[in-house]
Amino acid sequence: MPKKINIIKKKGKPSPVNFQDTILNLQKFWGDYGCVVLQPYDIEVGAGTFHPATTLRTLGPKPWKAAYVQPSRRPTDGRYGKNPNRLQHYYQFQVIIKPSPDEIKKVFLKSLSKIGINHTEHDIRFIEDDWESPTLGAAGLGWEVWCDGMEITQFTYFQQMTGVECKPISVELTYGLERICMFTQGKNNVFDLAWNNSGVKYKDIFLQAEQEYSAYNFEFANTKNLLKIFEIAENECKALLEKKLSLPAYDQCLKASHVFNLLDARGVVGVAQRTEYISRIRDLAKGSGKIWIEKQI
Amino acid sequence: MAELFIELFSEEIPPKLQIDARQKIKQMIEERLQKKEIKYSLSKSFSTPKRLVFYIEGLSKTIELKTKALKGPKINAPQLAIDGFMKSNNLKKKDIHKKIIDKGEFYFANTRTKTIDTLEELQLIIPEVLKNYSWKKSMKWSDHDLKWGRPLKSIIALFNNKVINFNFFHLQSSNLMLIDEMSTIKPKNVSNFKMYLQVLKSQKIILDQENRKEIVVKKMNDICNSRDLKNSFNTKLIEEVVNLVEKPSIIIGKFDETYLKIPQEILIITMQQHQRYFPLFNNNNKLINLFLFVSNLPDLKGYIKTGNQRVIEARLSDAKFFWEKNKKQNLVKQVSKLKNLHFFNKLGTFYDRTQRLRKLASLIADQLNISKEKTEITASICKADLVSDLVGEYPELQGTMGKYFAIEQGFEEDVSSAISDHYLPTSINSELPKKPLGVAVALIDKIDMLVGFFGINEKPTSSKDPFALRRAGIGLLRIITENKISIILKDLINYSILTYKEQNVKFLNESVNKDILIFLTERYKNLLKEKKIKKDIIEAVFASNIGNDFLILHKKCLIINKNISKSVCKNIIGTYKRASNILDLESKRTKEEIYGQPESFLFKKDEEKDLYSKINEIRQYFSSTKKNESYEETLKILAEAKNITDNFFDNVIVNDENLNIRKNRLELLQMFCKTYNNFADFSKIEGV
Repeated sequence: MPKKINIIKKKGKPSPVNFQDTILNLQKFWGDYGCVVLQPYDIEVGAGTFHPATTLRTLGPKPWKAAYVQPSRRPTDGRYGKNPNRLQHYYQFQVIIKPSPDEIKKVFLKSLSKIGINHTEHDIRFIEDDWESPTLGAAGLGWEVWCDGMEITQFTYFQQMTGVECKPISVELTYGLERICMFTQGKNNVFDLAWNNSGVKYKDIFLQAEQEYSAYNFEFANTKNLLKIFEIAENECKALLEKKLSLPAYDQCLKASHVFNLLDARGVVGVAQRTEYISRIRDLAKGSGKIWIEKQI
Repeated sequence: MAELFIELFSEEIPPKLQIDARQKIKQMIEERLQKKEIKYSLSKSFSTPKRLVFYIEGLSKTIELKTKALKGPKINAPQLAIDGFMKSNNLKKKDIHKKIIDKGEFYFANTRTKTIDTLEELQLIIPEVLKNYSWKKSMKWSDHDLKWGRPLKSIIALFNNKVINFNFFHLQSSNLMLIDEMSTIKPKNVSNFKMYLQVLKSQKIILDQENRKEIVVKKMNDICNSRDLKNSFNTKLIEEVVNLVEKPSIIIGKFDETYLKIPQEILIITMQQHQRYFPLFNNNNKLINLFLFVSNLPDLKGYIKTGNQRVIEARLSDAKFFWEKNKKQNLVKQVSKLKNLHFFNKLGTFYDRTQRLRKLASLIADQLNISKEKTEITASICKADLVSDLVGEYPELQGTMGKYFAIEQGFEEDVSSAISDHYLPTSINSELPKKPLGVAVALIDKIDMLVGFFGINEKPTSSKDPFALRRAGIGLLRIITENKISIILKDLINYSILTYKEQNVKFLNESVNKDILIFLTERYKNLLKEKKIKKDIIEAVFASNIGNDFLILHKKCLIINKNISKSVCKNIIGTYKRASNILDLESKRTKEEIYGQPESFLFKKDEEKDLYSKINEIRQYFSSTKKNESYEETLKILAEAKNITDNFFDNVIVNDENLNIRKNRLELLQMFCKTYNNFADFSKIEGV
């Protein structure tokens, strides 16, 4: 059981937890639970699941517990900073535990209380959401967790990763940090979130980035170069797989995946091509996973 | 008498899986009990997201198996068979005796009376049922081998207040009741169902799904009645929501009125599908800015209501933003963006598709005698909404959004509604387009699809139909027959093939037209069979000379089916069969070709001449009526020939000594049959 942790809140009426403390509280909570608290991966990814600490570590027999925040890039979700709910860059807090502990739901609900969500006062619901990532060759069963009608976390038992059946099974918790903070801070616009208690808002840090990256993602990303980069990354990955270097190979797979997402945002990927690109990336992920497992035993 | 009570406690099982497990596991337990001759008086199953409960009442604690006579092999059977009989029934030589029955002398044995302990049987039955139940979708967790709908945490299994002891994978049955993961209440020992229910009641958990449903529906009705609102709710959603909660609490929420300006389909989908809310309508069936939802706990501090309102507002503000943006985007200009949207790998983009549709529009407008210009415009812009943000967000609103955009941009009403109607029917039995423009574009949309996929040999098979071509085909046929549309399908298909060729689409199939018509004919025969039209009537009509006008085929099938046991049909069929039987017999015998072209100079008898002129009369009727043929009238005319044909058969011997006369009479009969074939090949109709 995790020890009591110090929550940043005043006596009396609790003030909502700011963005950075939300991260800190989750890190503290899961760190106390026994997770390795990792840092974000240093390559662009679309979700915390792509961090090798999840993708690769959920493969093979060895137990693993980790928690980390992961900046996630979804080029097509850019809205030039004009939409109150959508960002092309946002944060996920990821917890990955293998094998999934029996008491995981209880621990998860407890973690919510550390970031300002008391499950006795809010309608917390587990709504079916079977997850699949064709790019990673991954699939899992679980729920999206709703708090008063809002999805705040993805709760997934991985059944398959990089095309391989998982044994034992890992559980993945993915907290959507912006959504959670919008909920706890009672904000309707993500840019109005309090980042800290010194008056810095989300928009002070990210609004310009959203504007510029949206323009890059949708208008100015050089598709010719991107196509080349995709090829380079793919070839590099294959070459590294031959050398049985799973982690560097997987990095190249991630690069190819991000480049593909950019091409997609630029609207140059047709439906049929899309399936083809995805299957090429999946092959890279499968190759990396296979070699990773070989080295686990 | 004793009770059996089982609780399977797990993490939240989705409604559909829950309902299936609740019903099937109950059934499986009942079947196993019956097989073991264990009687019971009542069997029920209940579920909440976390609990699957099976409760059976009135079981006896022991079962007396009475003595039964077992029949063995014949007394002169090989020793091996006799030994086998003894072995398989656990008998010794002294247990068996000989007995003579009808079929000879056999070995017999009497089983011993046996007392079976129900508890012992249940120890085998219950784990076996749990093991054999197959989930529609299941998962593993941790390092266990068990596959279940969601992680199974505990099993309570009680019979007659005692634990039915068994192991099920890593779990061991017990009488320990878990209340909730987060509950501070320690697990409780329960000894029977009544006690279990008391514990649930103390937690305000309602186990019985029907009970939960009643509570939810009643509360929602009360709210609607008190506010003078329409109280009809989506039944599927009720079913789902009831199985998503243990402690239902109904909350009424509100969103800003300004969102009512967005097309209401968007609001309804957002509420129903995305949020599981019940949208509310006033008595004029107009959506209002209130909604109902079911929470799993009472909203003591009002947080739940506020939270949900904020969620729906955020979603609607997103939708409103897109609506404002999309409605201004000129549909005609949007068409060129369809160049980026692939229809199917080898069949080009949606832009190519609308270009083809535009051409087909011109032909079908001619055939249906409707405005060519409007049909072409509709065909050109009917897919333009596919590149809008809203259809991206709400794919199920394709067409519907196009209609709204068109209305906003001042397109005529019939053009606007044809944009949404051209997707109809969306399922086998659903609504059809009714207005001419919608009908026209719906037809060519389906023809273009069928031609394209048949052209590249992506035909549906009995098990696979990934492009929903069967649905398209049935939709096409239903529009034609139910809306009474007369089109020349063959021409439209040929023209459609041409439009693909003009776009340099390479077809692998050279007989597209024929294949599609065969495909449609098969589909249509099935449709008629489903409407309880006899198979032989369908075959008779389809063998007529009419080709592929499904509307005519449809009408003929209906009229024959209606009159099949009336004298009008009996007369026709009787006469026809008399003629065709003779023809069959004679042509089989002599193997000569008979074309149906008699020579009048070879007629020897008046009856021949009378029949000949009657046939010509009927032929004239057929060629004069064509388009406005009344099938009732046709049947009457065909039946009226009975007297003349009877006279012919009664007074003329076909098998004349003079071979020329004989041949000529056969020609006359053939002419008769061929003429009737214009309507149907009546020889195919059975009985009568």
